[in-house]
Amino acid sequence: MFITVLRALNSGFLRSLEIFALTLLGALPLGLLLSLGSMSRFRPLKYAVKLVVWIVRGTPLMLQLLVVYYGPGILLGDNWWGGGAAGRFTAAALTFIFNYACYFSEIFRGGIEGVPAGQREAGQVLGLTNRQIFFRVTLLQVVKRIVPPIGNEVITLVKDTSLVRVIAVYELMWEGQSFIKASGIIWPLFFTGVYYLLFSGLLTVLLGRLEKRLGYFKV
Amino acid sequence: MKKMLCTLLALTMLFLLAACGQQGAAGEAGDLAYVKDKGTLIVGITDFAPMDYRGDDGSWIGFDADLARAFAASLGVEAEFLEIDWDNKLLELNDKNIDCVWNGMTLTEEVLSSMGCSEPYWNNAQVVVLKKELAAEVKDVESLSSLRVAVEAGSAGQAAAEEAGLSITALLTQADALMEVEAGTSDACVIDLSMARAMTGEGTSYADLVYELSLTEEVYGVGFRQDSELVAAYNDFYAKAWADGTVQAIAETYDVADFVIG
Repeated sequence: MFITVLRALNSGFLRSLEIFALTLLGALPLGLLLSLGSMSRFRPLKYAVKLVVWIVRGTPLMLQLLVVYYGPGILLGDNWWGGGAAGRFTAAALTFIFNYACYFSEIFRGGIEGVPAGQREAGQVLGLTNRQIFFRVTLLQVVKRIVPPIGNEVITLVKDTSLVRVIAVYELMWEGQSFIKASGIIWPLFFTGVYYLLFSGLLTVLLGRLEKRLGYFKV
Repeated sequence: MKKMLCTLLALTMLFLLAACGQQGAAGEAGDLAYVKDKGTLIVGITDFAPMDYRGDDGSWIGFDADLARAFAASLGVEAEFLEIDWDNKLLELNDKNIDCVWNGMTLTEEVLSSMGCSEPYWNNAQVVVLKKELAAEVKDVESLSSLRVAVEAGSAGQAAAEEAGLSITALLTQADALMEVEAGTSDACVIDLSMARAMTGEGTSYADLVYELSLTEEVYGVGFRQDSELVAAYNDFYAKAWADGTVQAIAETYDVADFVIG
């Protein structure tokens, strides 16, 4: 029994990990783009980005999953996701990427605006272009500042992956719960906690190391 | 070293938690006295028309809700309704958050072996729901084989669909399975006849859906804790209520007289 449960939980955990990894890969660059948009001097772009960030941060992620996956079929009469497992997974991953990108964008914005103006000015004095200043002076300092808040979001993301079951993507918690439904066995559901704990523990250690490595330049 | 110790501790605690859950599953004597003492019968339900759903004033109505109130009154206690996550019904029951599961529950092998179940009071079937334009093409079970079929995870509908060899997607609830069909993310769903009747066709949000073809027949019952005296008390109550026409009268109210059995 224990082996059967572990096998099911492992397959669910793998699905959770896929969502987790894809979200980070997509949301970090997209978040940087959005943060640049929200600081743009071109007003319409700035307010458009702020509106989108407000909507995404202001509604539950679970609702966003339902709207993104079922919305096209119900509201537009055209389900463009296809019905298979691949369509569900794609919809879930895209929703997660966009949702987390919005949170990341605000963290990036805070990090970028927090770099002292003197750093920029020093760059200008040295004759660097705006692009050079951003990538070689500002961004490096931003990375160091934002590791703790981004780490917070990363840990939250581990647990948020459990939401994808509302559109029938079979992640870890779904697999754990399925034993209650199928055979009245309760412990697998609680045991999923071990997976989440161990994985977030590992991430905590990795994030701590990253922070230390970035400690070489004191601002 | 410290981290390892912490991990070990966390593991042990989780196992203890799981063990507690299993101990609670054992039946207990004096369930009837327990309910009478606290003066309430807590009924675990989900929003599931026509069995339990909210009336215009927000209170719970429906065939099961009305019958549950009558049963509670016969014990001299109040019926209280608690909406639960259907997947966790056994957990809620054994933890005494609810005293019975009474919500059009199909008496499956699993339910019969894990709960104290009443005599069946309702005849039901698992039917295939699909869009009108697709319905013409569906004649028998074989013609379903190319379709993507949504079901509620762990439901009688899932068992029936698996039995018929359909390619299924399991959702959290039957309502989600219906929404899949409406959104076109699944071609059809297999749900209870009673729900299909109440929620599809003219005058519902799913006016373009129809139900065809029943896969299996089944019965509903009320679930109590294992070895609870409430089972016998309920069966007595139901026999009397059937004999004096109370059951039939409630069934008439909700237009479900065809389903109810004595």
